[in-house]
Amino acid sequence: MATGLESYVNHTVSIVTSDGRNFVGTLKGFDQTINLILDDSHERVYSATQGVEQVVLGLHIIRGDNVAVVGEMDEALDSRLDLSSLRAEPIGQVIF
Amino acid sequence: MLPLTLLRTAQNHPMLVELKNGETYNGHLVSCDNWMNINLREVICTSRDGDKFWKMPECYIRGSTIKYLRIPDEVIDMVKEETVVKARSRTDMKGRGGGQRNRGGGQSKTLDSDGDCLTVG
Repeated sequence: MATGLESYVNHTVSIVTSDGRNFVGTLKGFDQTINLILDDSHERVYSATQGVEQVVLGLHIIRGDNVAVVGEMDEALDSRLDLSSLRAEPIGQVIF
Repeated sequence: MLPLTLLRTAQNHPMLVELKNGETYNGHLVSCDNWMNINLREVICTSRDGDKFWKMPECYIRGSTIKYLRIPDEVIDMVKEETVVKARSRTDMKGRGGGQRNRGGGQSKTLDSDGDCLTVG
């Protein structure tokens, strides 16, 4: 945990962006402005009425301005989740 | 790996750029700079709601307006190749330009700790 994001590189991370979206993928790199490289990524779209929809996206560069949260995923725990039965209100966007 | 290195490698590849206002731009990356400003060719712009489309031969996007870029999966492997090639060319260069220091056969001086000249020639 020494230098922030360095310890997350090549791990599965969950990104919440300031428009309220949630991306999951492998962190391949970052820079001083928190621009991120996300490989094998997908978006998780939450809904109060149906299960979580996963949209496959692939390789992404996310600009640091829009990054609200970067979290390391517990892959073992995540694989035990049944996303199709999970109901959750989508989170709103950050209001500037 | 740095995001901007990956972006540079993605030059001449197709990509999707989403702006902070929700508009998306699909096109081939021509060039980019250190601020993520980019030049696209053969662009299709889609409105925030995805109901309006504009086609344009080229466009320039200011980096600070970008939310994210979606690039082809294979580009990330090309970065690795490029860094290997660069590292190799650096080692190749070793010794080539060496031994040229102190050219011109001029005088060499010996200075003491105060900078006073002790010997010349």
